[in-house]
Parts: sequence; structure tokens; C-alpha cells
Amino acid sequence: MEIRQTPLSLLQKKSKMVFLSGSILASIGILLVTVGGSWDITNHLLNKPETFFSPPHAMMYSGVAIGLIGSAISLLGYRNLQDSKEVFRLPLRLKFLGIFLLVGAGPFDFVWHSNFGLDGLLSPPHFTLLGGMLFCSLGGMFGISRFLQNRNSKNKFTDYLLVLATLPVWLAGSGVISSLSLPFSNTDYFEFNPEPTFAFVMATVAYPFFISLMCIVTAKLSNFKPGVITILGGVFLLIYGMTAIVPNFALLESVEFYSMNLIPIVMADLIVSFRKTKKASFVAGGILGSGFYMVYYPYIMYTYNELLLGKLVSPSMIYHTYFELMPQVIQFTIIPAIIMGIIGAFVAFRFSNKILIKN
Amino acid sequence: MNKLVVIGIVAVSLSVYFSMTVFVLPEKFLDKEQFTPVPHLEVEIPSTEIKLGESFRVNTISENTGDYGDIHIVSAAFPTLTKTDGIVRIVTYDFSNSPIYINPGDEIGAKYSGGLETVVAQYPQIEAMNRPVHPGTKYFMDLQVTPEEPGPFTVYLKSIDIPHTSSLSHFPTQGQLDHQEEYVLVYTVNVNP
Repeated sequence: MEIRQTPLSLLQKKSKMVFLSGSILASIGILLVTVGGSWDITNHLLNKPETFFSPPHAMMYSGVAIGLIGSAISLLGYRNLQDSKEVFRLPLRLKFLGIFLLVGAGPFDFVWHSNFGLDGLLSPPHFTLLGGMLFCSLGGMFGISRFLQNRNSKNKFTDYLLVLATLPVWLAGSGVISSLSLPFSNTDYFEFNPEPTFAFVMATVAYPFFISLMCIVTAKLSNFKPGVITILGGVFLLIYGMTAIVPNFALLESVEFYSMNLIPIVMADLIVSFRKTKKASFVAGGILGSGFYMVYYPYIMYTYNELLLGKLVSPSMIYHTYFELMPQVIQFTIIPAIIMGIIGAFVAFRFSNKILIKN
Repeated sequence: MNKLVVIGIVAVSLSVYFSMTVFVLPEKFLDKEQFTPVPHLEVEIPSTEIKLGESFRVNTISENTGDYGDIHIVSAAFPTLTKTDGIVRIVTYDFSNSPIYINPGDEIGAKYSGGLETVVAQYPQIEAMNRPVHPGTKYFMDLQVTPEEPGPFTVYLKSIDIPHTSSLSHFPTQGQLDHQEEYVLVYTVNVNP
């Protein structure tokens, strides 16, 4: 039987598609900003660039432009929505809040560089940028997730869009945690380095929580589709490896070590897709959290070095100090990391149930 | 898939993961020698005697003859001066980072400590810096000096590579110490009235 669609329902469908396109563009834009940001940290550490105009900054601000276009397209789609405006209002607001902060952060950063020279990881313009990244990526994530939740046709491949939706949130959130825990923020003018004990606790608590939260949310939203966590985690590792490890000649050999991180990710995926239950997700969350010190190699070493060794570590010495610290860090953090991973999975269930899926 | 099979796969995989990342690979990496960049510095000063009002050149060629390093530094200091403005001019420079001008009274690193130990600079100094430094790469910095007073004009020159893990990572390795308590090559040009 042929189903005829009314002009109104066609407009509704098209508007949702336009909104989805805007959300995808916003997520791609923030992905570029976060990848550029991670590359920028490495660039600062290795090359100490002296001007605002550097390739990582070019990548970041191209991402802002794409995010801005994505948000504008989302607004266009939203204006023509008839019956689901309520569903897409929050994603749109988050995107615009994020874009407002991101667009403002560019000139703010330029002025800051011009007045105070090289700024550290944690500085007012960088934190504005991070806030913008987080809000805008959440807008993209909510938009894509709610579209998938509200769609009429079920295409088995569209669930993998969730990876694109959550990856920028994971990277942006990791950026916030890094800026609050890494000692990369003291400059000639300001001492913004976090207090070492605070940084130690922040890294131990927040990283495992966030790994677990992001992976389990994505799995839950895809109804535990096999491979979703693996793709998400694999792309995260690839991005982190390409921006934090590969550019540093001295760390190239350790790519072998870093690639081992795919094991707990694949195992978490296997567990949640085999037993699609809360209990299985908690086990997977614990596993994901337990590997945070390895997943956030190499820079996480600087956080723990501050309190445990206090050594001066130049970039080519990173892996020696990282591995030297490993027994102590594992001893202090393994239990809290597993607990935070489980809590991350618990929060992921509430988050995906009550915030993302709203009809 | 059987539940026991899944538990088995997960248990074995995680055992492999933790034994490789916590025990096997760290030991392998810690057994490896750390990178030791080794700087070498050649200095050419064509004139050893000049007349007041004339200039002389200090041409430096530095090289990392060791492993990959993070930073390569060439430093020229002027113990008979209080300032370099109008007296010392950089004429050739191919380092990646801009030169740093140190003035008397500035707090500077000492004893090859990478800034952990500091002293107060007693005389002006120019530091050229390249980040990172690959083995076998050469760097050039040429200075033109126009002394304003007659008498012996002294220049201290040295090169340091970071990471500085042993005496191999500085040049020269012995001789006179400068205000940073680091070894320097000493050159003197007589400025005749």
C-alpha cells in the first residue's frame, strides 16, 4: 500500500533532517576544535610557538566556523518544525550558548596573547573556549540523539552517528579535566597551575568517570549495538595518539603500548552488547575506568609527577618518567578508578534516560 | 555465545592488558637508554685586534652530534658590558625560536638545572634556541660587535642541549665557568684606541 505524505508532514520531516544536518556539522566543528586543541598542547610543549597564528589554532578556529554554520543550519530547521519544537529546543540553546562562547574566545585569546604573550593551558580565554566546546558538543550530541530517537524509519547504520555525537563531548570534557589537573598553566604573568593534591584527586576521579560515562551513554543510546563502544574508543585513541604521541619523535616507539588500550574498550563493548543490562554496564564501566592512566598517556604523567616525583621532565623524557611512576600511580588509583568507572556507568544510565531521550 | 566463554575471553584479555601495560612494556621501555643529545660548537672570530669604532664578527656553527633532543641552546655572553643595545647585533640566525636577551639583574637558570636552580645575571647575554633538535642538524648565529670602549673585549660562548642528563649534553665540558656556573669558551678581542 502506498502511503501518501501531506505537505505538512513532508515539511516536518525535512525540517528534522535540516536540524540533524546542523547538529552533525556542529559536532564535526567541535571535533576539529578538540583535535586542534590536543595538537596545540603538543605543539606548545615541543615547539613553544611564539605567535597566535599556528596550524593547530587554524584547525581550531576552522572548527569554530563549521560549528557556527552548523548552529545556523540547526536554527533554520528548528524554525520550520511543527510538532517537535520542545524536543529540539534544548539542543539548539546549548549549541548557541557554546557558539557564543567559542566565537568570543577567539578575539579574547588573541588579545590575551598580545598582552601577556604565551598563555598556559588554563587561562580565561582557554577556559571560555573549553566551555564553548563542551556546550556546543552537548548541543550536537542532544540534537543527534533526539533525532535518532524520534525518527520513523530505522536504519541500522544511523546508530553509529552516535559515535560522532559523543566523541566531541568526550574530547571537550577531557580538555576541561586536563586543564584543571595538568601543570601547564604557569606563565611569566600568571600562576594558574592547579594545586598538586587537587590535580591528583581531579585526575583520579574525573578521568575514569568520564571514560565510563561517555562509552556507556553511547552504548545505551544505541541500545547496546555491538561495536559502538569499540568504534568510539578506537577513534578516541587514534585522535589522542595522532595528536599527543606521534608528533613527539621520542614517543613514537610507545605507540605499541598505547594501542593496547583497545583491549579494555573491546571487552567493555563485548560485555554490554552480550548482556544488555545495568549490571553488565557497571562491570564495563569499572573496566573502562581502571585503564584511565594508560588511556590518557602521555600527559597525565605530569599531574602525578608533581606530587610523587617532582622531577623536571622535558618532552623526550616523558615515557621514562611515565613508566617510572606507573607502579605508584596504579597502587594509589586503581580502586578509586574502578569505583569512578562504575559511578560513571550509573550516571550514564540516568543521563541517557532522563535528559537525552525526551519525547 | 555462552556466558562462561564471554567471562573467559574478558578475563584472559584483561590479564594480557594489565600484564603488558603495567609490567612487561614498562620494563622494556625503562631498560632503554634515555636520549642524550650532544652539542658541539664551532666559533670563528676573524679579527683579534680592531680599532675603536670598528666592528668584529662572532660566527657560530652549532650541531647536535648525539641523539634527538628537546631544546638546543647557543649562548653568547659579554662580561665586559652592561648592555648589548647598539653594541651587539645579530646578523645571521636560523634557530626556530626568537633570541632571548638577558640583562644584568635578571633571574636565570644555573648549573645545567633547567631552571630548578637560579642565579642573578651579572652581565648581558643572548640565547638562541631551537625546539626540538634532531641528530646532525646544524644551526648558525653570527653576531656583529661594535665595542664602545678601548681595551680587551671578552665574549663567552657555550651550547647546551636538553634533556641534560650528563656532561655530554653541554659544550664545552671543562674550562672557565660563567655567571650561571656553566662552562664557556672564552674569546678576547683587543680594541685599540
